Amino acid sequence: MIEIDLARSSVRGLNERLHRLAPGTNEHYWRVLNPNGAHAIAVGITEPIHVEIKGHVGYYCAGMNAAATIVVDGHAGTGLAENIMSGLVRVNGNASQSAAASGRGGLVVVQGDASARCGISMKGVSIVVGGSAGHMSAFMGQAGTLVVCGDAGHDLGDSIYEAEIYVAGSVASLGADCVEKEMTQADIQRVAALLDRAAIATKATCFRHYGSARRLYNFHIDHAAEY
Amino acid sequence: MDRPASPEIRTFGFGERIEVFKDVGLPDAVAERFDLTHRSGTHALGHTRMATESAVTTEHSHPFSTGPDLCLVHNGSLSNHNRLRQSLRRQGIQFSTDNDTEVASGYLTWRLRQGIGLTEALEAALADLDGFYTFAVGTKDGFAILRDPIACKPAVLAETKDWVAMATEYRAIATLPDAATAEIWEPHPATVYSWRRQ
Repeated sequence: MIEIDLARSSVRGLNERLHRLAPGTNEHYWRVLNPNGAHAIAVGITEPIHVEIKGHVGYYCAGMNAAATIVVDGHAGTGLAENIMSGLVRVNGNASQSAAASGRGGLVVVQGDASARCGISMKGVSIVVGGSAGHMSAFMGQAGTLVVCGDAGHDLGDSIYEAEIYVAGSVASLGADCVEKEMTQADIQRVAALLDRAAIATKATCFRHYGSARRLYNFHIDHAAEY
Repeated sequence: MDRPASPEIRTFGFGERIEVFKDVGLPDAVAERFDLTHRSGTHALGHTRMATESAVTTEHSHPFSTGPDLCLVHNGSLSNHNRLRQSLRRQGIQFSTDNDTEVASGYLTWRLRQGIGLTEALEAALADLDGFYTFAVGTKDGFAILRDPIACKPAVLAETKDWVAMATEYRAIATLPDAATAEIWEPHPATVYSWRRQ
């Protein structure tokens, strides 16, 4: 295990070491101490290593992650796992706004609550929120899955394209073109598999399913002649 | 607020308990200039401004105070401040800059003059102020927080049995005693949070 104490060394130094790791590296277990809310910790990792961060992190933690497993033992600020490509990012506390924004793949787990715009413009990432998610979550979601075990705030799934949303609790309101859909057996299996990967014990049968009604501009075949 | 007797003198705050210190420069240098480390009190608001809508001068810096023992800091920008400033001037509120945040401060002064409490004044602001804002407001009795209805600007709250703190980011709270074990949460949009000194 490699231990980095951010009370004594810089985030830039840590990230440079993580970026230099070669494929097949044997430096695969890292522990980061005293993050104290610093921004951009463990961003841009491309190797399947394990990074454990002991404490609260600032903005954009684990951004652009590919392949790595990153666990935050604390809360996370704005933009957790922004543009995640693959791998797993887990926060044992709460996450602030825009968690997993524009993520293309991988899994983001927020054990507590996620605030506004969770999964905004998601493009393939899977997100599991153990608590509740704030307003405008999955805004303009293009692909991927958002699972919320608690409640969802206002304007859930506003202007959504093809992402799928599952919520166990209440939904304050649905955004433009987002509608409730049938919860099929395939949906239950999809949610159960994600809850299992996220290690969150909630019954997949409690969830309701939301997605696009496909009535906004881009879904109208009449507009195809414009191009 | 009376007009200054000498044009080179500006009044940044007045009242019984709240003192306003503001200046242009690096935060550490400004804090040293006012010897902030040797000040004491029950509550304090700090602000570093990234100017977008008006000049970088001491007059345009936060906090803004337009009434006795009132001060306001703001992250964001207001879009209806010009019209609101005009109507508040007609109500007797005086402004010394073209800054949008000063209008929010003047608006609260006007509301508080009507005899309502700070929480009610901030709730009224939700209807009358248009734009982006996370506000922190200090009065002689305590302080309050309000975010706009879409929570455009970040905010984090932390509370222990000894203190409560609000900041744009946790980094500013991390240095407080026992911050690592504080209860930490994000304030909801369009919701007034307030604390009174005991």
